[in-house]
Amino acid sequence: MDEDPPTVNKWDGNAIKNALDDATKSVMMNNICTVECFRLIDGRLIISSLAVGFSLFALGYDYWFPFPLSRTILMVCVVCYFIMSAILTWHTSSVEKGTFATVLNVDPSGIDPNDSWSASSYLKRFDTVYHLTLTFKCGKTKQQRESTTAMAIERYFDVNGKLLYDRVSR
Amino acid sequence: MLSKVLSLLGFPDEIKRMNMRQVMYQVLNFAMIVSSALMIWKGLMVVTSSESPIVVVLSGSMEPAFNRGDLLFLTNYEKDPITVGEIVVFKVEGRDIPIVHRVIKVHQGDSNDNNSVKFLTKGDNNNVDDRGLYAHGQVWLRRKDVVGRARGFVPYIGIVTIIMNEYPELKYTVLALLALFVLFNRE
Repeated sequence: MDEDPPTVNKWDGNAIKNALDDATKSVMMNNICTVECFRLIDGRLIISSLAVGFSLFALGYDYWFPFPLSRTILMVCVVCYFIMSAILTWHTSSVEKGTFATVLNVDPSGIDPNDSWSASSYLKRFDTVYHLTLTFKCGKTKQQRESTTAMAIERYFDVNGKLLYDRVSR
Repeated sequence: MLSKVLSLLGFPDEIKRMNMRQVMYQVLNFAMIVSSALMIWKGLMVVTSSESPIVVVLSGSMEPAFNRGDLLFLTNYEKDPITVGEIVVFKVEGRDIPIVHRVIKVHQGDSNDNNSVKFLTKGDNNNVDDRGLYAHGQVWLRRKDVVGRARGFVPYIGIVTIIMNEYPELKYTVLALLALFVLFNRE
C-alpha cells in the first residue's frame, strides 16, 4: 500500500466492504498488472448520462414551449427515462454482479486478445464474513477460472485496516 | 476544509477515493435522483392534463372543506364541463398564485364550444364572490384560467411547503444537506 491504511468505522458494514474492495484492488494493481479496465463503470456512466439527458431535454422543452404544447414530448421523455432507469438497474444487478475491479493482463506481443482478472465481492448485512471471488478469463481460449474465499473480517481490522492484504491475492 | 465538514457528517474516507470516474458517478447519481422527481412530476402533468397536478391550499377561504395546508390532487380534462358546485383551482391573469374556490354561477355561452363557458367563483368561507380578486375589469372567469378541478385531497401534509416558503433559509439548508449526503455517500 502506498498510503496509510484507511481508518474505517468498524461497525459500518458498507464502509468495511468499501475498504476491503479498495485494498483488494490495489493488491491486484500491484501484483498482477497495472492496467485497469473501466468497461463496466463506463457502461453505468453512459446509461445514467442518457437518462439524465432525457430528463434535461424534457425540462428545457417544457420551459420553452409551456405545458399543453409540450405534452407529447414530455410523455416520450418520461417513458424513455424510466426505460433507461430499468436498463441501469438490470445492468447493475445482472451484468456487474458485484464486480468492483477488472484488471487486464496486457499481452506483450500485442497479437492475442487480453486476459483479464476480475474481482467481485459481497458482504451480507450484519454478517462478518466477506466473500471475495476472483475470476480469470483467458483472452485466447475464453475459458474462465474462478476461486472464491470467504474471510472473517476481524482478521483484517483492529482499529484501522491492516496490511494483511497480501493474503487476498492468493 | 471540505474534509472536515464531511468528517462531521460521517464520511471520513470519501476524499481518498475521489478519482475522476467516482466523482462523475456520484454527480450522475445525484442527477438521477433529481431527474426521477422531475420525471414523476412531468408524468403526473401529462396524465392529469393539468399544468400543476398537486397544489397546496394557502388560505382559509374554503373552510371547513379545506384547511390551510391541505394537499389537493387536480385533473383538467378538456371534455369535462365545469358545473356549479365544483371546486376549481384557477389563476387570475397576471398573478401566479393559484386560488382554490367553488364555482357558484355558470354562463353557458355557445353550447358547441366548451371554451366559451364563463363562470363565477366564491370561497366557502368568504362573504362575497371573487369579483374583487379577478383582474381589473374582469367579471367572469374563462376555461383557460382554470388549472384543474379538485379530485382528492390529503389533509395537513402541505404545511411543510408553506413553512419552506415562509422561511427560505430552512428550504436551502435542507436541500444543501440532502445534496451533500447524496453526493458523498458511497453505495
